[in-house]
Amino acid sequence: MTRPHHALRTGPFETVPTAAVTLAEVSKIYPGGVRALDGVSLTVDRGRFVAVMGPSGSGKSTLMHCASGLDTPTSGKVFIDGTEISSLTENRRTELRRRNVGFVFQSYNLVPSLTIADNITLPLRLAGAAADQEWMRTLAGRVGLTDRLSHRPAELSGGQQQRAAIARALIARPAVLFADEPTGALDLRTGRNVLDLLRELVNELGQTVVMVTHDPAAAAHADLVLIMADGHIVDTLTGASPTTLAHRIATVEAE
Amino acid sequence: MLRLALQTARRRVAALVAVACAMFGGAALVTGIGVIAESGLRSQMPVERLARADVVVSAPQSHQPPEDLPIGLPERNRLPVELTERLAGVPDVTAVIGDVSFPAAVLSAQGTPVTASGHGWSATRLADEPGVTGQPPTRPDELAVDAGTAAAAGVQAGDRVNAVVAGRTAQFRVTAVVTSPEPGLYFADDTAIQFTERRVDFIAIQAAPGRTDNVATAVREALGDNDLVVSTGADRGDVESPGAAAARSFLPALAGSMAGVTLLIIGFIVAGALSVSIAGQRRDLALLRAVGASPKQIRGLAAGQATLMAAPALVLGAGAGYLLADLFRGMLVGLGFLPAGLPLTVSPFPAVAALLLLLLVVQAAARGSAWRTSRLPATEAVSESRVEPRTPSKTRTYAGVLLIVAANVIAVIPLVSQTSLGANTTAIAGILATVGLGLCGPAMVRWVSSVLAAKLPARVSAPTWLAVANTNGYAMRVAGAVTTLAMAVVFTLTYTLTQTTLITAIDRDVEATGKAELHVTAPATGGLPQDALDAITTTPGVKAAAPVSTTTVLWPGSVFGQIQVESSSALILTPAAANVLDLDVRSGDLNDLTGATVAVSGDADLGSEVGFHLGDGTFVKAKVVATYGRGLGIGEVVVSRDLAIGHTTSGLDQRILIRTDDPGTVRASLASNPVLVVGEGSGLATGTGIPPELWINIVVLGVLLGYLLLGIANKLVASTAQRRAELANLRLIGATARQLRRMMRREASVICGIALVTGLVLAAVPIVLLSLGLLGQPWPAGPVWLLPLVMGVVVVIAFAAIELPTWQALRPPPVDARNHQS
Ligand SMILES: Nc1ncnc2c1ncn2[C@@H]1O[C@H](COP(=O)(O)OP(=O)(O)O)[C@@H](O)[C@H]1O
Ligand SMILES: [Mg+2]
Repeated sequence: MTRPHHALRTGPFETVPTAAVTLAEVSKIYPGGVRALDGVSLTVDRGRFVAVMGPSGSGKSTLMHCASGLDTPTSGKVFIDGTEISSLTENRRTELRRRNVGFVFQSYNLVPSLTIADNITLPLRLAGAAADQEWMRTLAGRVGLTDRLSHRPAELSGGQQQRAAIARALIARPAVLFADEPTGALDLRTGRNVLDLLRELVNELGQTVVMVTHDPAAAAHADLVLIMADGHIVDTLTGASPTTLAHRIATVEAE
Repeated sequence: MLRLALQTARRRVAALVAVACAMFGGAALVTGIGVIAESGLRSQMPVERLARADVVVSAPQSHQPPEDLPIGLPERNRLPVELTERLAGVPDVTAVIGDVSFPAAVLSAQGTPVTASGHGWSATRLADEPGVTGQPPTRPDELAVDAGTAAAAGVQAGDRVNAVVAGRTAQFRVTAVVTSPEPGLYFADDTAIQFTERRVDFIAIQAAPGRTDNVATAVREALGDNDLVVSTGADRGDVESPGAAAARSFLPALAGSMAGVTLLIIGFIVAGALSVSIAGQRRDLALLRAVGASPKQIRGLAAGQATLMAAPALVLGAGAGYLLADLFRGMLVGLGFLPAGLPLTVSPFPAVAALLLLLLVVQAAARGSAWRTSRLPATEAVSESRVEPRTPSKTRTYAGVLLIVAANVIAVIPLVSQTSLGANTTAIAGILATVGLGLCGPAMVRWVSSVLAAKLPARVSAPTWLAVANTNGYAMRVAGAVTTLAMAVVFTLTYTLTQTTLITAIDRDVEATGKAELHVTAPATGGLPQDALDAITTTPGVKAAAPVSTTTVLWPGSVFGQIQVESSSALILTPAAANVLDLDVRSGDLNDLTGATVAVSGDADLGSEVGFHLGDGTFVKAKVVATYGRGLGIGEVVVSRDLAIGHTTSGLDQRILIRTDDPGTVRASLASNPVLVVGEGSGLATGTGIPPELWINIVVLGVLLGYLLLGIANKLVASTAQRRAELANLRLIGATARQLRRMMRREASVICGIALVTGLVLAAVPIVLLSLGLLGQPWPAGPVWLLPLVMGVVVVIAFAAIELPTWQALRPPPVDARNHQS
């Protein structure tokens, strides 16, 4: 199978030795006692495209939240772009996240009172940086929303909203982009379009991506596929075909 | 569907608390006012002196205007004594007592008066067990005295004593000392009725055991076809003390005057709380639309659910209303506006009426709040549920503007009618204008925030930028908060300044009226002795002296173009009054106040005849001999003493005003008479002057303001708490908690700013009109600290009610907050 990231691995990030994200023995126990992550260790190198699969409730979202700094693990360490985050205050962690992490949610999470343009540049504003209009236009053009920039989210279709959310996640040129079932709320075709777009962007920009998906075809494009079950990474596959992935998931779900 | 509504309730605790408080307070206030009104109509004075009279005959003590509530008459309406003889022959009657009461006092050896009520000897039979030491008085110069008074005055049976009886001082021989529950002087029956011009207050009849009803029927027959009142049982209480019973009849009017403002405030707070609660549910309702519920079903669901939530709070509130009414009664008694003995009428009517009324409000408000969501096409309903409609409805905006205009039109009333009734419209106008603001608020907020957004510098901080964007994007929500806070400003300013301005205007009027250096009263003898005026006039140094008394008349006034008979306080004056009072006479002459004449406030044709009822109900016709300008302080009408004499309970002058260049000497000469009490100036402010409604209004202001501020705080907290998901979302995107707190503070500043400005503007017009009308100046009278205080309170409430729930919302990690919300 082709390795679309090859070109990227020779890109500028290659010279930086630190991994984009590192998890060391990370556990997360929710109040009430659910052990959603159980001693997970993981390193995502720069420029990598990692897919996470697994049955519902297996801890995929928790992994994404902990790895992105949205939430803190109960034990273990998380490094984003070389910085250990669990010792940071909520404010510092947010600032780091704003600079280094992009997140695409299943439910878009656009701010309803802002225009699409303002939604896309919001992370820059929050970081106190000048809104890079040119970069914003480039991204908007890339996600096909140039003529929708002055609309409000409610006036857009689900696919368009998710594309706006992707542009927003990339506006700060983050070290890593997380996407938690980004097509989960979309129909099959729209979902595929969004995934294609994401993959193209990743290729063009050399972006590090960690994405949760249930779609074996989408996961097959990844450099690395992690299979999760009961808070553990039970399998790590490279270069698996969609059929192999589908089969592997089916057996994990059956257990 | 109701189950679904209740399941989502858990997420909207703050909104439900707001609704519950609004309902509880609303039900308590409405029930309380209802109890006061009902008590005015149905409560009865307790039976005390008449406990041993089975049947009581009296003259009617209230006036029944056509198609209106009866008005109690405060002055005793007496009966001819001859009736007693006619009733003595009725079968089963064991005793007939024609009872009279008149002011009396015995003088001690030093001349100090000891107050006691004067009666005929037969009245002792009304007491439970009259212990009599001595002989009954039989001659005109004999009296019996109760033990307490005897001890206080230092007299015993057989002594000779001086007494002031119905204004006349004479010497009497004490024939007996009797035990009696209240201070009394007892005269031979024939002597006693001379003091009341051979008329009795009422006739007390004792019946053979078990024959009370038969006797009552027989008495009615014997009296034949006239309007005399025959009372038995609890009805006898009112006959005892007509003044107290008349005081009661101002309760319905009082309740009516409180009801207007109170209902407006309650409607406002209840509707506000419900709209926040339903806004928090918009998404659920929209989803129901999407799965096939009809718009009508959605509104029905919103209303049904609101009713269900409201019901427990309403029931508890109605119960609390009875306690509230009792507190209020205590306060009225404390201020001297109600007799202490008057109980409240406790019946379920006020509670039932309050519940029905508030349920109506709840249904209407809930349906109104759900209107827009329910009417959207099902598909749009879901997407619209995430943001507010882009453009506020035009109809709504125009309706709001119209209401504000209408409110300002009403506010003109105090300019044309300088009365306390007219002044009442100022607060109503202010509140109506604020409700109008609630309607056109979203459009205004959107406009203000667009202007702000355009003026923002490019590199403005993210919190400020977001705050402005939110104000613009959530204009409806912001307008709700703005309107609520503006209501606090408008209500407090218009309501308080109405009272203070009115009090000042009345005070100024009263102040300008009294020209006297000294005034004399005689409280111990129930009024001034009849020789007092001559004695004072001839005292060296007195330039002029004139009696001034107050009574109540039923005066045909015009209320909004309709002639209505109203109980109004009136001065009783003689022609000499012109020397001691300045009524700002506009036409005619107070010197003509002889015979059947009156002077009236405002415009009237001199020489024309007016018909009205005196305080005892007697209808008289009198000629207008003067008009005057100080109606606000003095009252609508001045009655000549010639006309009023014999129609007041005491029949005595209450006060004599004195003009003199040498008050010290006059004071010294009058000091020799211990019955007289001399005071500085005219002393008119007490008695005339400030009407009870004003004091009551100030208390009502306190209660309503508490309710309003609680409602405002609740509403702001609830609407902030519902932004948990919105705040969590911003944190996921990368906003720090500190930035979001700043953003919320900026929003609070914008909200406060708009609320204070609009509140001041809306309050200003009615207040300026009121001040022009009452004081002839554009600014009101009132404490200068009021405005800064109101603004301070509004700012503190707004910031606290937004800051606290914001901290709360930002506490859990954003991932959680998002999961448990939306
Ligand atoms: N906020 C939370 N509080 C308590 N338990 C949670 C919370 N979030 C997730 N869980 C539990 O943790 C486990 C893993 O959840 P999650 O990471 O969302 O799984 P996935 O995304 O793979 O479906 C599940 O059992 C879920 O019920
Ligand atoms: Mg998940």
